[in-house]
Amino acid sequence: MSKLADLETTDRGDQASESTIDVSGERQAVAVDAGSAAWEGLPVPAKGRKRRWLPYALYLGTLFVLVTFNFLLPRIMPGDPIDALMALGSPSFVQDDETRAALEEYYRLDASLPEQYLTYLGGLVQGDLGVSIVSNTPVTEELVPRIGWSFLLIISSLAISLIIGLPTGVHSGWKRGKGVDRGLLGFFLSVQNLPIFFVGSVVLVVFSAQMGWFPLGGASTPFNEYGGVAQILDVAHHLALPALLMGFEFATFEYLVMRSSMVSELGSDYLLSGRAKGLTERRLKYRYAGRNALLPVITVIGLQFSLAVTSIIFVERIFAYPGVGGYMFEAVGTRDYPAMQGAFLVLTITVLTTNLFVELLYRRVDPRTAR
Amino acid sequence: MRSFLSSLRHSPLLAIGIAIVMVLVVIAALAPVIAPYDPIAITGNSFETPSSAHLLGTNDAGADIFSRLVWGTRTSLAVAVFATTLVLAIGVLVGLVAGLRGGIIDTLLMRLVDVFLALPGLPLLIFVAALVGPSLGVSILMIGLALWPQTARIVRSQTLSLRTRGFVDSARGFGAGPLYVIRRHLLPALGPVVASNLVFVAGAAVTIEAGLAFIGLGDPIAVGWGTMLNRALENPQIYLGSLWLWWLLPAGLALTLAVLGFTFIGVGLEPRFNPRWSRSL
Repeated sequence: MSKLADLETTDRGDQASESTIDVSGERQAVAVDAGSAAWEGLPVPAKGRKRRWLPYALYLGTLFVLVTFNFLLPRIMPGDPIDALMALGSPSFVQDDETRAALEEYYRLDASLPEQYLTYLGGLVQGDLGVSIVSNTPVTEELVPRIGWSFLLIISSLAISLIIGLPTGVHSGWKRGKGVDRGLLGFFLSVQNLPIFFVGSVVLVVFSAQMGWFPLGGASTPFNEYGGVAQILDVAHHLALPALLMGFEFATFEYLVMRSSMVSELGSDYLLSGRAKGLTERRLKYRYAGRNALLPVITVIGLQFSLAVTSIIFVERIFAYPGVGGYMFEAVGTRDYPAMQGAFLVLTITVLTTNLFVELLYRRVDPRTAR
Repeated sequence: MRSFLSSLRHSPLLAIGIAIVMVLVVIAALAPVIAPYDPIAITGNSFETPSSAHLLGTNDAGADIFSRLVWGTRTSLAVAVFATTLVLAIGVLVGLVAGLRGGIIDTLLMRLVDVFLALPGLPLLIFVAALVGPSLGVSILMIGLALWPQTARIVRSQTLSLRTRGFVDSARGFGAGPLYVIRRHLLPALGPVVASNLVFVAGAAVTIEAGLAFIGLGDPIAVGWGTMLNRALENPQIYLGSLWLWWLLPAGLALTLAVLGFTFIGVGLEPRFNPRWSRSL
């Protein structure tokens, strides 16, 4: 939602260049706004001009905070992960003290905190995320195939959102203020406000359960022996609903950014001269204005990748999709701390890394933001 | 007041939004009167279909779904109010200090904002809520902590532009202290912008709380719409017949309505303060 607000700011910021409010400084969600002094017309200190290291420093700083947090929080909480195992009603209920001691030793909970931290960091560097309490399997081993499924889901939904969002955005911007524009804007703004977990639940119940058009969950039919094309179709069939759902959610952002970017191209001289030359409206719209307006969408795609991490937790939970988000949900349900931490870390690092790439890419494309 | 009324006439969106939220407030206030049953009491058999005794039937445990729906309004509004207050407090404080003091304090605070913005919101909320144990208080606190950076940025940028304006300069020239300038000039000028931002924050807070509850991290004591959705979807019965029509749908629609209400107010408030936005629509 906070990223949403940023996009809205971007939308408005592009409308006019005069900046009483420094909307332009707020361009990106994760942008470093060291340059706001410049927007006020104040001299920028020479030292602050480049600062190439800043995105990296921010990235490493945040990563460190999260990793430490990930380590520390379960340990400073009253009760420890073993308590969850011992809890009546937890699926791996154990009661005797001997087992407890053995488990504590196994998870090295008896060592001192700094010692545990070093062990933890050492393990992390080697890709060791601990052992799931529920399944007794290394978390890394469980997560790897799930990362693949999540990646497939995210990429498909991004592709869908581009297919929906870009043409509608171009059209809406081109017809700014007309009925089509208002209709599309209203539609996408409403879509944006629908809680995805509610829409997803309804979609699942209606299209999978009631209509029976799509499978109830999973990424493929269990124990199938399709092979070849049938196998791919089966996977696509399972992927369709979750990917469409996320695709529609993301399309809103692409639409809004594309539209406002398109609007800012409208008065351009090159369109006037193009028109004077007698170019077709269609060519002007897509080849000229559309192509020029495409740049801001790059940032949005990056932002969506990190936004997707939020969405997959809901979407994979609803459609029982075997990705990282679904894994996190299951781990929360069973209070399987190592599993939860592992999923959390994977999601976190994905978000941070994507944000870093977006930031670097954007600095390259638009050097003004580097200030 | 007159300008407020005229803006209501000019912006139907604002009027609709305010109407929605006011209806929800009334429902929340009168929940014990409106709801026919105790929302957690067993008042019938499991999965009763809607009847005059149970307007929306009963859930798996035999509790009255309509009563739960009504009481859920309280949970959502409580989240909206408290989380927004928290965001207001932290966001305005940090934004004002950063904007007014400038220098190293500004840099440090803004780096802090950057770090907070870079944090992956929902996974972090889930992680903490699962560890601390789900409760409404924890949710509100975490949502507040997740949403303040945006407000802080807006307040800071506004403060930066305001403090170089003539009226602030002349007030300071006449010997006004910083607190006087803040109270007399900055806060009134910030008010409208912050207000519209906070309405969006309220909508986001309601969605996030329901989302956490949907993942199974709702307050086990409070009755909320997110918890209702989660419980409905957890139960395989939801796939059969039209049970979802009165168990799943009303809770989700209520949630959507609340979020829409806040968004409408936020969008409706914006044109008055930001003429550019109204032009772009």
